[in-house]
Amino acid sequence: MEPSGENNSLEVVVCVENELGLHARPAGKVAQLAQSFQADIALCVADQRADAKSILDILSLAAPQGTEICIKASGCDASEALEQIGQLFHDKFEGDT
Amino acid sequence: MARKILRGIPVSAGISIGKAYFVNRQKERRIPRETIPHHLVAIETQRLRNAVEEVRQGFMDARARVPEELKEHGAIIDSHLMICQDPKLVESAAKNIEERAITAEWALERSINAIGKAFSAIDDPYIRERMQDVRVVGDKIMQALIGTPKPVDLPAGRRVLMAHDLTPADAIELELSKIMSFATAEGGKTSHTGILARSLQIPAIVGVEDLEDSIRDGDLVIIDALKGLIFIDPSEDELAHYGDRKYQFEDYQKAIVKQCHLPAETVDGYRLEVCANIELAEELVQVKDNGGEGVGLYRTEYAFFNKSNMPDEEKLYEEYATLAEQLAPQKVILRTLDVGADKLLDEQAMLDEANPALGLRGIRFCLRYQNVFRMQLRAMLRASVHGNVAIMFPMISGLKELRQARFVLNSVKSELDAEGVAYNPDIPVGIMIELPSAVMIADTLAREVDFFSIGTNDLIQYSLGIDRTNKHVSYLYQPLHPAIVRSIKFVIDAAHKEGIEASVCGEVASDPYCVPILMGMRVDGISIAPQAIPGIKRVIRQIDMEECIELLGDVLTHATVSRINTKVRKRIFKRFPEELSFFASLIEQDDITEP
Repeated sequence: MEPSGENNSLEVVVCVENELGLHARPAGKVAQLAQSFQADIALCVADQRADAKSILDILSLAAPQGTEICIKASGCDASEALEQIGQLFHDKFEGDT
Repeated sequence: MARKILRGIPVSAGISIGKAYFVNRQKERRIPRETIPHHLVAIETQRLRNAVEEVRQGFMDARARVPEELKEHGAIIDSHLMICQDPKLVESAAKNIEERAITAEWALERSINAIGKAFSAIDDPYIRERMQDVRVVGDKIMQALIGTPKPVDLPAGRRVLMAHDLTPADAIELELSKIMSFATAEGGKTSHTGILARSLQIPAIVGVEDLEDSIRDGDLVIIDALKGLIFIDPSEDELAHYGDRKYQFEDYQKAIVKQCHLPAETVDGYRLEVCANIELAEELVQVKDNGGEGVGLYRTEYAFFNKSNMPDEEKLYEEYATLAEQLAPQKVILRTLDVGADKLLDEQAMLDEANPALGLRGIRFCLRYQNVFRMQLRAMLRASVHGNVAIMFPMISGLKELRQARFVLNSVKSELDAEGVAYNPDIPVGIMIELPSAVMIADTLAREVDFFSIGTNDLIQYSLGIDRTNKHVSYLYQPLHPAIVRSIKFVIDAAHKEGIEASVCGEVASDPYCVPILMGMRVDGISIAPQAIPGIKRVIRQIDMEECIELLGDVLTHATVSRINTKVRKRIFKRFPEELSFFASLIEQDDITEP
């Protein structure tokens, strides 16, 4: 097991920029991407925490446009994961409205 | 004390003690909600993973086959694929198996329900609707776990069947020999499910609140279908008490069945014809075994519901001819197709009526779809040469309908004449009196028919304006409401004035409290469920007419149902304390007491 815990946990704050918010397709893309990493990745909104590898978890955040999301990752490829997932948010999920 | 006692409406008398077994009607299959021994947890988890993999592979294959022009739809498969491998769903189900030691199916169901709960709290309707996708995927995995559902999938050993609801069609599909008794969450006092249970002589309780939440597969339950109680995980004392009561009841049943072939004649020589209501030719055995003196109501709907296709004339003819032959010289009254309130044919379902009970049912349906009606009448007429056959029209609301129906009958007769086909030209024709309008013009109707059969179930429903299967208002189903008592009396008097016979074929006629009142009205006959015959015949044989007339006079002077019920209960109970301890009377529902 990779070491995890607050010590080697990285985080980055992103904003949901697309019009419809974190809907099924964006959530699916995030989950799919997250699943390609070994790191534990979580999306946090206020006190809610969703497993980034679970589309259902992400959907249950029900995050509309403008929501600030803190992506936290821990594990060997954590920094790469944060970078790529953050980029996905910035790109508005590759053209999904 | 039992862990929990549930209440429902007893619809078929008896007591049974056994293990509960659910058939999950809403999902068309049974989810085994059972615990498993700990050493099987790993195997169960593997079953779950295999099922998920099978479904995942199926989605992958499907996605590979999506043609270019339907790319848009490929996205749906993608999201299903995502859900299928979602840790939230699969891992939580695996965790359920491990922590709770339950079957993969139950674990999966719990996980889906948990997700559903979380989703239902989301404000965004678009996201909330994604739950549909979760259910689709969950269903597929469940399907893979359970395998192809079999219509009949009862385990060996007799069980107490539990279901959300059982339609007559479901009940036919089930292997009833494997069922000791059943309970359903839906249904009311005179729903057809209950009628079916009584025909099959298995104890049954319907309209049980909290049934599905309170009882799990394998729970030990006592079904007290005399009082409408279900004891879950009963105590030793309760088991002992009900063990005894079950024997007492069964002894009483045996005793009355022994005397059931004696005529239904009062102490002072008033003779009543006691016939049976049946809907399957197979029930004839029961009619004879229970001392029935013919069939006063043969419901002909089953042939139309039991098969995927409409029956043809030959099939119907065979059915009716068999009945006539086996019963002769006793009579059989064939009621023409009475589809409606709780049983719909495709033609009716297509009409999408807001209120089928007040819609195109009974004779109205037949007059609209005359090809079905004519075919049935042809079969009935042809069968009439094989025995003592009468025809009866249901749901007659006025003279015109009766005349139209008779017109069709006459035209069918001419048709048979022209073809040289034999039938009884003097076949008796009667009608059901089950609408308040028919009651009010009973004197006019009596001049144009050979007999009346008063269908009290519907008459009560239409007179009091209540849906008898609706458990919220079924308490208003009051057979001794002054309006009902007066209606029945008016109809019988009108019939006698015109010299025709009037019988009663509703549930009222199998209620030991009500029968003496009907006798006071000089009813000519009653037609009831076969297994109710022995008990009712015994009551008739012990009472005298003078007493009945006096009782009726008493009932007619009271203005409220509760006064009438109290009065009747007191008098009849005094006469038949033993008999009545086993009857769940229609007028006793409000004082169900625990043992």
